Amino acid sequence: MTTAAPTLTSRKTTRPAPWGRWALKSAAFSYLAVLLVIPLIVIFRDGLSEGVGGLWQAISLPIAWSALKLTLWTSAVMAVINAVMGTMTAYVLVRYTFPGKSVLNAVVDLPLAIPTLVTGVMLVLLYGPQSLIGGWFQDQFGWGIIFARPGIVLALLFINYPFVVRAVQPVLENFERDAEEAAATLGAGSLTIFWRVTLPALWLPIASGALLSFARAIGEFGSIVIVSGNLPLRTQTAAVYLLGEVESANRQGASAMSIVMLSLAFGLVLFVDWLRQRGQQEPAP
Amino acid sequence: MNTKHLRTLTIVLALSLLASCAPRAATPTAEPNGASSPANLILGAYTTPREAYGELIPLFAAQWKDKAGQEVTFEESYLGSGAQSRAIVEGFEADVAALSLDGDIRKIADAGLITHDWHTPPYNGMVSTSIVSFAVRKGNPENIHDWADLAKPGLKILTPDPKTSGGAQWNILALYGAALRGQVEGIPAGDEAAAIEFLKSVLTNVIALDKGARESITNFETGNGDVAITYENEILVGQEAGQDYELIIPKSTILIENPVAVVDEYVDQHGTREVAEAFVRFLFSKEAQEIFAKHGLRSLDAEVVEATRAQYPPVTDLFTIGDQFGGWAEAGPKFFGDTGIYSRAITQVQAP
Repeated sequence: MTTAAPTLTSRKTTRPAPWGRWALKSAAFSYLAVLLVIPLIVIFRDGLSEGVGGLWQAISLPIAWSALKLTLWTSAVMAVINAVMGTMTAYVLVRYTFPGKSVLNAVVDLPLAIPTLVTGVMLVLLYGPQSLIGGWFQDQFGWGIIFARPGIVLALLFINYPFVVRAVQPVLENFERDAEEAAATLGAGSLTIFWRVTLPALWLPIASGALLSFARAIGEFGSIVIVSGNLPLRTQTAAVYLLGEVESANRQGASAMSIVMLSLAFGLVLFVDWLRQRGQQEPAP
Repeated sequence: MNTKHLRTLTIVLALSLLASCAPRAATPTAEPNGASSPANLILGAYTTPREAYGELIPLFAAQWKDKAGQEVTFEESYLGSGAQSRAIVEGFEADVAALSLDGDIRKIADAGLITHDWHTPPYNGMVSTSIVSFAVRKGNPENIHDWADLAKPGLKILTPDPKTSGGAQWNILALYGAALRGQVEGIPAGDEAAAIEFLKSVLTNVIALDKGARESITNFETGNGDVAITYENEILVGQEAGQDYELIIPKSTILIENPVAVVDEYVDQHGTREVAEAFVRFLFSKEAQEIFAKHGLRSLDAEVVEATRAQYPPVTDLFTIGDQFGGWAEAGPKFFGDTGIYSRAITQVQAP
């Protein structure tokens, strides 16, 4: 990257008076504490009430363990597809002009605004066993989409659509095209240019977008509960398992699963943050 | 730009994770009511009698106004029976709890919120009944007539998740009970091992375990599945609303008994005991029982039963949770506990 990454703080703005600064800081911190930190502490205390051994026991139950595994691998498949297709979408949106481009650009964010429950219902109507498409798949290949694992991946892809696109797009927009032009002058084909020049500059936004979507997928509930069929050991994901434990008053089991999901997601978010900071410090190649 | 955007997404992510992880608890507050000022009753019910209560509540309000000269308004909440029970225990201040199964009222009593014995006459605390039955597609293309037909390989069955739904627990007990009583072809009476095998062969055919009975039948209405195991009243209410699926009553099934109880702790807090108790008494009246019968539920009133015999044909072999399974206190853990019969069966069946 030849341009310096933009920073959020600007040193030229006038600073508020000391007491104002103090009030602002304490307001921000208490908001953070009330909204995020305290609930997190409560759930951790609950889940660890029987020690790490108790947590491990709750998670290693076959149904819980398989729900967690299913969640992780479907999220991983989604993240990989999302990385490839999201990068492609961003590339098309930045590099090409075509009619309806601004509309398409706006549509990208739609999944963040649609209730995930609605996403689930839409997918069942479109791909359910009784629908044209779902029925065709069933007849041709003998496997269903809805009430099966492909439905879970599909729902995750839908709700996480914007993450990679929106991470890659701004970087691509600020991308200095000198290197690409130089490569072209030296006789490189457009595919080679993309692989050897453009893509290396994009790995950071692609990775962070994909990892963030992965983290969001871990907790996804609304769309999954509709499309998965919720069969223990087969199509039940961690979040739906969690609801069952909450509803059947198994609080410790519910908290244990919450802790694992939270830790995974939080770990990923921290990792992405670290990646981004490292990327910003790296000297231009 | 990049950083800012990712930050925003990070926040969205953190919030949605929290939203999906935190246990929910509804805690609406109600103003205390004097006897002469307007009263407000909070009804915490399970999902299936919603239509019946829609008609019962205005009727009671009119009668109460005539009799006691007091206006009464209602706040109604309908959730899966287990979820409603938990909400009340965690502080949803329902004056009257109307749930799917006795075990869910018991949970409220165990939490110290119901202090009286709710198993009172005329019907031992039960206000309505139904039976476990099947909804099948128009014309019954899969030719389903009894429990044994549900084990046919390749059949697609819908039933809710017993972890979250009272109706689902009734379904499992109906199936298992029928098998144990020798009412399922090929299963000898009293053979527990064979009954468990039969349970497993039906569970193999289940394509989705929805959250509640209502979600399950809605899923069936969307076009999924060949058969839905559910309350008889869910099917009747659906048919009344224009659905064209058919009701199949198996030869042997369980009588679903739905309890109702005044929640002592909350009526005393709200000062609504008098009107709450009057409402519960009203639900046992012949008039109210007729309304339940109109909305698909089998009445407990002998005269109403007689009058609605055509709509609710008697079941050849009807059994109850009490006489077949020794009540919910025994059946709950035995079937749906961590190592219960159902829990083990579903684990074995679905293992990849």
